[in-house]
Amino acid sequence: MPATAASMVAQAMAQELIYQPVPRKPNPMVNINPLKRGSGKTVTLEDRVIELEKTAAWKKNIKQWQEEQTLFDMNRLPKVARVPLGDLLIDEDVQRPLDEKHCAKIAKPGPFDPALLQTLQCIKRSDGKFVSTDGQHTGAVLSALLNAGVAGNINWKTFEFNVQYIETDDLAFARRAFSVLNGKGKKRQSAYQLLRNDVYIIRIDGNTSDEEEVITEKKVSIAESNECFPVEEDSPLCKYPSTFTNIATFKTMTNEEIDLSTKWHNKYFHRDPIHVSLFFIFKDLCRDFNSAKLPITEKLLEELAGLIQNLFVDLSQYSSSAKEAYNRWHKNRYGYLGSWNDDAYACGLLHLYKKFKGQEKLPLTLLDRFDDLINFFDEDLLNLAS
Amino acid sequence: MYHLYLVKGIGGRIGFGIATNIKDRNKHYSSHSGDIVTFPVIYGGLRSHAKAIEKTIKNELSDHIWYVDDWKTEWLDKKYDETFLENFVSKTIEEKHCKLKIIHRNYNFTLDNS
Repeated sequence: MPATAASMVAQAMAQELIYQPVPRKPNPMVNINPLKRGSGKTVTLEDRVIELEKTAAWKKNIKQWQEEQTLFDMNRLPKVARVPLGDLLIDEDVQRPLDEKHCAKIAKPGPFDPALLQTLQCIKRSDGKFVSTDGQHTGAVLSALLNAGVAGNINWKTFEFNVQYIETDDLAFARRAFSVLNGKGKKRQSAYQLLRNDVYIIRIDGNTSDEEEVITEKKVSIAESNECFPVEEDSPLCKYPSTFTNIATFKTMTNEEIDLSTKWHNKYFHRDPIHVSLFFIFKDLCRDFNSAKLPITEKLLEELAGLIQNLFVDLSQYSSSAKEAYNRWHKNRYGYLGSWNDDAYACGLLHLYKKFKGQEKLPLTLLDRFDDLINFFDEDLLNLAS
Repeated sequence: MYHLYLVKGIGGRIGFGIATNIKDRNKHYSSHSGDIVTFPVIYGGLRSHAKAIEKTIKNELSDHIWYVDDWKTEWLDKKYDETFLENFVSKTIEEKHCKLKIIHRNYNFTLDNS
């Protein structure tokens, strides 16, 4: 059947929407994914000491101790005791006000596990009184639970609980200790480490009692089923295809959004690490298409991949170009550089799709935003559409 | 026209970069090195494609990059030569369907009358 003039024009204009397959290479992550199973390895503390002592930073540290001929005071090491809860004081100028909601949350039947209660941190003043410098919420929760009789007939005031303390009247120490115990100078767990913990609890320990851990593990499983893998930021694994580091954004997505986005990545951009824009784009697409009751068709998904491949090679470069365009757009419209808006990833992409004569239906809610952003993409790209 | 180039240092080390004005860039390398520096291969094409391939080199060859202390350079370890890098770049361009083509070989600014 002869093509009509209109269909020939449409075909000619759609060249930049045609995706060309990229040869697939085996992804080493399929076999080395650390979340698949734990290492099963235990090391001794001595192993760690040897490891530490080999490092330049540690050697430099010890050299300084030796040069200064300093010995640290062993008497300053913390001591431990069991102290009746009713004898404890809390210095209100050191600790935060009691967070009753926080207490109620951790004391819920089910999640509450007495085995997770931590030792209270105190100073022991010269008058013999123990003043809590950290752990007032633990102390308050335990005491109130005992007082409510949920552990049987126990007098909370005389119940002795574990306390770690140093002997001092110096409140400056107490204040500094509170800061240290609550994060200052501590190596915090990364988002990846927290996620890994959740996944290992399900996969290695087989414990599914915590709903949040189950939800997280499910999300990771969906991504892995599409050969996409969360990894630690700046780790040597980041160089492998289909790895991603933005755990926080990943966790905000629904299972459907994770499935669609990682499937799309694995189908079209399986040679590249995942840029976080993937998650922002698919979150916006899923939510806006759903609200507008429009389907995200296979044709649209393939044409968007084609558009990115033809104009930008990959999603990472699309994101860089979109940010440059956004900066120029913001400067032009408001007269100054504004902070980046993640919604512009999806909006910019759909504007480009329209510009390159994409025919699939799109929600106006995405097209109405950043309406002339398209004009601020690189000229050599826009010229391809004309 | 935007450019992705391979550069050969005076000592033979191979590196890479991107530039709009290739002549100026070559002059900069030469003036820093105290001798004429050659760009063994220059690819020309879309700016976004040149940038994407440069990022791919940095990522996929991250284990081959030359570090000066903790400073990650745009040069490879000396055991990798220009053939290795050209093959990697050309294969990547072909497999990823990039709009970049070789426009010069063994370029230096003294040969450029533009």
